[in-house]
Amino acid sequence: MKTVSEVHSAFDAHKTSPVELTSEFLVRARKSRLNAFITLCEDRALAQAKVCQEQFKSHGRVPREEFPLFGVPIGIKDVIVMDGVRTTCGSLMLENYIPPYTATAVERLERAGAIILGKLNCDEFAMGSSNENSAFGPVAHPTHPGYVSGGSSGGPAAAVAGGLCVASLGTDTGGSIRLPASFCGVVGFKPTYGRVSRSGLIAFASSLDQIGPFASTVEDCARMLDVMAGPDLRDSTSSQVPKGSWVNAISYTPEWNKIRVGIPKEYFIGGLAPAVQKAIEASLNWFRSKGAKLVELSLPHTQYSVATYYVVAVSEASSNLARFDGVRFGMRPREAADVKDLLSFYKKSRSRFGAEVKRRIILGTFALSSGYYDAFYRRACQVRRLIRDDFNRAFEKVDVIASPVSPTTAFKIGQKSKDPLEMYLNDVFTIPASLAGLPALSVPCGKDAEALPIGLHLIAPHFAEESLFSIARGFEKEFSNGS
Amino acid sequence: MAPEFETVIGLEVHCQLATETKLFCGCRAKLPKGRTVADEEPNLNTCPVCTGHPGSLPVLNKKAVELAIRAGIATSCEIRRRSVFARKNYFYPDLPKGYQISQYDQPLCKNGFLEVALVGAGLKKIRIERIHLEEDAGKSIHMPGYSLVNLNRASVPLIEIVSAPDLSSPGEAGVYLRMLYAIVTALEICDGNLQEGNFRCDANVSVRPKGSDKLGTRVEIKNINSFRFVERAIEYEALRQVELLRSGGQVIQETRTFDSDKGVTLSMRAKEEAHDYRYFPDPDLVPLTFDDAWIERIQNDLPELPRKRQDRYIVDFGLSELDASALVNSRVLTKLFEGVISAFKSALKARALDQKNISKSVVNLIISEVPRLVNETGIEVDQSKLNSTHIVELVMLQSAGVISHSSARQVLATVWGSGDRIETIVKRLGLEQVSDLSALEPIIDDVIARNAQQVAELRSGKDKVMSFLVGQVMKASQGKANPTMLSGLIKKKIGI
Amino acid sequence: MAVEITSVLTQKVADLACLELTEAEVRDFTAQLGEVLHYIDQLSEIDVKGVEPLTYPHEMDLVLRDDSICTPELDARGKPKILEHAPDVLSGGFKVPPIL
Repeated sequence: MKTVSEVHSAFDAHKTSPVELTSEFLVRARKSRLNAFITLCEDRALAQAKVCQEQFKSHGRVPREEFPLFGVPIGIKDVIVMDGVRTTCGSLMLENYIPPYTATAVERLERAGAIILGKLNCDEFAMGSSNENSAFGPVAHPTHPGYVSGGSSGGPAAAVAGGLCVASLGTDTGGSIRLPASFCGVVGFKPTYGRVSRSGLIAFASSLDQIGPFASTVEDCARMLDVMAGPDLRDSTSSQVPKGSWVNAISYTPEWNKIRVGIPKEYFIGGLAPAVQKAIEASLNWFRSKGAKLVELSLPHTQYSVATYYVVAVSEASSNLARFDGVRFGMRPREAADVKDLLSFYKKSRSRFGAEVKRRIILGTFALSSGYYDAFYRRACQVRRLIRDDFNRAFEKVDVIASPVSPTTAFKIGQKSKDPLEMYLNDVFTIPASLAGLPALSVPCGKDAEALPIGLHLIAPHFAEESLFSIARGFEKEFSNGS
Repeated sequence: MAPEFETVIGLEVHCQLATETKLFCGCRAKLPKGRTVADEEPNLNTCPVCTGHPGSLPVLNKKAVELAIRAGIATSCEIRRRSVFARKNYFYPDLPKGYQISQYDQPLCKNGFLEVALVGAGLKKIRIERIHLEEDAGKSIHMPGYSLVNLNRASVPLIEIVSAPDLSSPGEAGVYLRMLYAIVTALEICDGNLQEGNFRCDANVSVRPKGSDKLGTRVEIKNINSFRFVERAIEYEALRQVELLRSGGQVIQETRTFDSDKGVTLSMRAKEEAHDYRYFPDPDLVPLTFDDAWIERIQNDLPELPRKRQDRYIVDFGLSELDASALVNSRVLTKLFEGVISAFKSALKARALDQKNISKSVVNLIISEVPRLVNETGIEVDQSKLNSTHIVELVMLQSAGVISHSSARQVLATVWGSGDRIETIVKRLGLEQVSDLSALEPIIDDVIARNAQQVAELRSGKDKVMSFLVGQVMKASQGKANPTMLSGLIKKKIGI
Repeated sequence: MAVEITSVLTQKVADLACLELTEAEVRDFTAQLGEVLHYIDQLSEIDVKGVEPLTYPHEMDLVLRDDSICTPELDARGKPKILEHAPDVLSGGFKVPPIL
């Protein structure tokens, strides 16, 4: 059972029940070798399933109008907190951390009837592109053992692809939803910055982080966003822009002859794996064949995106991760309990960060430090404006921008983990939209010779989720069939 | 201070805003009336936000912004329609997030001033460079071998009011601070509880040869929470610097602390050890922006400023400059005075009482007696049993000649703790003045008989002696005689 | 701005971030940071004169909160629930090494 409507039809046809389905998914999760889940919250899931069961009995059918995610098994990336459920961020720092509250996004999913199965593996504090930086081990690729699932939301992507949940929540800072979605062959969507409350999302880089869904279809991503979006008094950066009803919006086919698809020339300057190049070209041709207008355009500051992103993201991270000091929550290693001065105390209690996290904290601390701030942090923020302005200008001419999600398909575990810089360059196509706060998604558009999935990246203007979903939905419906 | 040197002082005042809740979360910020920080159960008033739990986010308190804007208006600052919150990063156990949310290069208020009245020197304009919003840190209790962190105070809203280095003596600093204090309390920006650190000050002090326009190396004295201590700390520090310079030494830029027991400043850390705070805009809080309408609304709701109130008291009630300023500099006394005056308003209409004379008696009781009682009993005005009705009754009895001035003081002291009705106390203590001739006659006769020489002097025209004789009768009557009738009676007795 | 990353600088920044590094980490990080900073140095090619830094992805108004109290959560014994999460609590306080 891959989609919400399949689940609901099965309930309505009495082929299964919420409790039965939940138990089945829990068993599957326990048996799975993907290492997608870090923690299962079976009691909470079954309790919620029972509530659904009662409601089903009293309604005699799925009350989908009131509970759009009624009885749907969902997994949550382990950087999003749930009251009473261990949240690790894939880090030994939080090995036993039980949060005191629930993230707004999760609260809204549960209110819509979703059944949360557990917490999904990811790179430590969402820092990584391959899910190899998790203290709980890498997530295996759902169809290709020995390959990475992509990161940092490797667990959420692999869990949906591997049938361990119907949908999942990930987070995207520089591509952490779109990249693993592309590698695993599912749909992954990063909303406009501010669309979904960040309350309860353990911050990596606050001005970039967004929670977004993974699902097998664009429609289910839209359904998830319908439930989660909207202002939240616990997050001052959650947007007041009215939310749409995206599920309804995608039920009609776009008027293709009115759609203008932008192709940024900077994204096609070589370095693409041939299979990726081919799949993207085929996708673009498909758009043309439907009558859409392809518009070549320029995003001149693209080449600076990765450098800009790393300065901004690690600077914010160096400050966001200062709270992990073993005073009010989390772990205090035995060494830290005995020291007699503060600096050694902090050093000992902060010693459980992994290498990549330490590397980024140090880089960020450096970029903000006295004497370097202007040349690094401030300059990166200036370039960030140039990058955003590039997009603003581009969207005067087009409705959506198309590109690859990643230059390559999934690589082998260990292949890139020795060279941080090479790893950072995986995100070259996803980072610009993150810097600009734009909504973007990855939708499957083919496979390479080894049958590893390839994702098409679609980027829309701020808050233009409606057109993004309907274009992606149209593509998914017909292009997939043809491929 | 050595005549060839002058002192240059700038003050940074941290003032806790009188909001119910913290700056970025709904936890209680205000102490319940009469309670101290030490009374509160540690870490009770905390939540995931103010303890820095992962994933929690700050949401700004609207009231805190309003109060900060009030402070800006009261000090003639430019209220900036766009200001930015920044993170000040450093590690300390009482700082839950590892950074303090403050404002850095884009504060809420800028470029204001206060005009302070200096004795014998008229008004002096002290520039205010900026006022910004920030959150307080928590508190630690230090034990042998460990410390305990209490976050009840973490994220309580503060404004920092930064003056230009325009103050040139400890006295000026004291006047400026008291005036600022009067403003923030009168405008209900701050509760003004000095013991609990509601209003505390860092002083930047340097000295330079008189007439020089170059600033000397400055020393920052941290966290002083009383006006007297500020004056003493500056005085000590300026002298220390002058002595250093005179003996051929150099002042080093550093942070010092004031030891109030010894009356000295002590080095905390040198500039080389200064923190690198790595300020940057807080990505969790977009810039604070608002329109003119909001400012106008705040301006319209602004309570009367102390300076304006002082002028009004002088004109309306004939108070002296000194009395009026003593009143307006204390919010509790102002409140008491306003209460008494409004209670009198109806009475004054009913009877043709002398408004100015009555005000004088009221003011005497309020500005000399009430503070004395606070000092003696250790009970604050709002915790005492005294209310404005008591003072009205007391002054009425006094002006009708029923009790004397000294008896009035005695009654006030009794009301302070008991809250009984004035009449009851006067009766209980037997303090009604004796105006009854038959009761006074024997006392007067006795005084005349025992002071033959003074009586002779009085007869020969030395009027000054009269007050001595009146005093003797008062003493003999234990203060109950009505002094206004006594001189007449004595004259009658001795036939002049 | 070309910056020479030395192990001394790495160590200094690690101190500022309160991170303890092994000698091997100092060596590796110094080399890796050097490489990353070299890569980042391409930003210095761009003319950013007069460009306002962008901190927030798009213009938003800051939403303010009313000054109303949320009551703290207590555990079964009436103690602050927040303390349940702390590794070391004494007399209701978070215990840390001595602060001087």
